[in-house]
Amino acid sequence: MLELKNLFGGYGKITILNGTTFKIPEASITTVIGPNGAGKSTVFKAIFGLLNIHSGEILLNGENVVGLTPKQLINKGVTYVPQGRNVVPQLSVYHNLELGGITADDQSRVKARIEQVMDQFPMLRKFRDRKAIELSGGQQKQLEVARALLLDPKLILIDEPSIGLSPNLVAEVFRTLQALRDQGVTILMVEQNAKAALAMSDYGLVLELGQTRMHDRADVLLADPKVGHLFLGGHIEEDAPA
Amino acid sequence: MSEFIQLLLSGLSSGSIYALAAVGFTLLWQASQTINFAQGEFVMIPAFFVLALSVKLGFPVWLAMPLAIILSVLILGALFKRLIVEPMHKHGTIPLVIATIALGILLKEMVKEFYSPLGQPFPSLFPQDVFSIGGAAISIPDIANFTIAMGTIVALQLFLSRTRTGRSMQATAQNPDVAEILGVDIKRMVMYTFLINGALAAIASILITPVYLAKFSNGEVLGLVAFIAAIVGGFNQIRGALVGGLLLGVVDNFSAAYFSSEYRQALPMILLIVIILVRPQGLLGTSEGRTV
Ligand SMILES: Nc1ncnc2c1ncn2[C@@H]1O[C@H](COP(=O)(O)OP(=O)(O)OP(=O)(O)O)[C@@H](O)[C@H]1O
Ligand SMILES: [Mg+2]
Repeated sequence: MLELKNLFGGYGKITILNGTTFKIPEASITTVIGPNGAGKSTVFKAIFGLLNIHSGEILLNGENVVGLTPKQLINKGVTYVPQGRNVVPQLSVYHNLELGGITADDQSRVKARIEQVMDQFPMLRKFRDRKAIELSGGQQKQLEVARALLLDPKLILIDEPSIGLSPNLVAEVFRTLQALRDQGVTILMVEQNAKAALAMSDYGLVLELGQTRMHDRADVLLADPKVGHLFLGGHIEEDAPA
Repeated sequence: MSEFIQLLLSGLSSGSIYALAAVGFTLLWQASQTINFAQGEFVMIPAFFVLALSVKLGFPVWLAMPLAIILSVLILGALFKRLIVEPMHKHGTIPLVIATIALGILLKEMVKEFYSPLGQPFPSLFPQDVFSIGGAAISIPDIANFTIAMGTIVALQLFLSRTRTGRSMQATAQNPDVAEILGVDIKRMVMYTFLINGALAAIASILITPVYLAKFSNGEVLGLVAFIAAIVGGFNQIRGALVGGLLLGVVDNFSAAYFSSEYRQALPMILLIVIILVRPQGLLGTSEGRTV
């Protein structure tokens, strides 16, 4: 489904991705973990056409998508929910959802999809005419997730969805992602909350200094003492620079 | 009382025209962090497009005016963005600000050099008649200017809130990163903002120039007034710029009637200072976020 091959890239002259390589299968959930600044978010930006790629390949169903714009990637079924707050503050909940389908030619389908995601997230229907900025942090995150689902994506890149969410809402978002996986959607997720995320994932991937350090089934990683060490803020390789 | 109403109405009339310039100014700021110090000259120039087309090239006025608006959209909108804003923006806000100041001077000097240093009579769209209601003399151009300027702003506001393109423009102004990842063509949305500013400047020009004469220096006061109106309104929303423009028009008109002309010149500045001291976020501004 998605394969990164020896990817180098970064911001301006700074290189963050140092030969990132991994491959994730269709209809699976993969959680990326790693210390702060490891380049997790940068990998997502790279996949979504927001990063300077120096070399390497990003294959989406076998096709190299390096150089495509976010809009072209959306048309290929990719969607991206970045870290942090990502709503349009002064637009209503409804119109934020609508923006999730702004690239679609068939706007009547977008309207129907908005109704469906509002069924899925009843809070959004309740507050459909409120400005997005008036929602709580957790509600805004739900809005972002719902908006990302609007065009029935095949690949979801979701960066730290649990930040600012109550445990209940985190469980809710994870359930939503699992249900999507069961429908055939591929999910690549970054989570700070590594234990809970690995527990609901199929695969786990440890990223450090822009390189893949470990990549295995999630339950295997969960049981690995080296990963346990990482949860406590350490590094995979004891001698790795801080 | 009747004098009060008269002064109020003509103040609202010029104020609504200031508001056109201030709204455009605010839109450019929101969409691209461009502080356009040539905005006054942008309101001065289209009148000369009309004159060049009608007086020099012999087009009838009814045709020269819409053509001037189109020229303004192309030159003050698209060309301004391509030739000045895009190349300068890479170097930061200050170089861009300086470039717009230079552009203002260039436009002024070009009109002086190539058209005329003297004030030129400019055709009015409306009869200069005055009718009286309850003793107050009400001029037809005042009413017409107010109606057209307000109608333009209301139409713009409706476009921004009621159409998908307008909402994409809002998204681009409020959170460009999010707009981009949702697939909004943010470059195009920013370009639309520049085109709209060109049109607003041209409409303001056609409405206000008959009040004065068409003169190269008209932009000096207009630019300052637009800038102050935008700040007074909070710099971040159309409604603010509208209120700021109207307020400045009314204040200016009353001070012209009740104070000597030296004080009159100073009044917008005094208003600006008071607002900055009392409400730094502007009359309708919020301290965070940009609104339409
Ligand atoms: N826009 C940017 N310009 C320059 N450097 C950046 C930019 N964004 C991130 N970086 C740098 O790139 C490196 C990797 O950042 P990235 O956000 O990918 O890390 P992360 O693994 O997602 O960390 P976190 O867990 O804190 O979210 C960091 O050193 C960061 O400072
Ligand atoms: Mg990150």
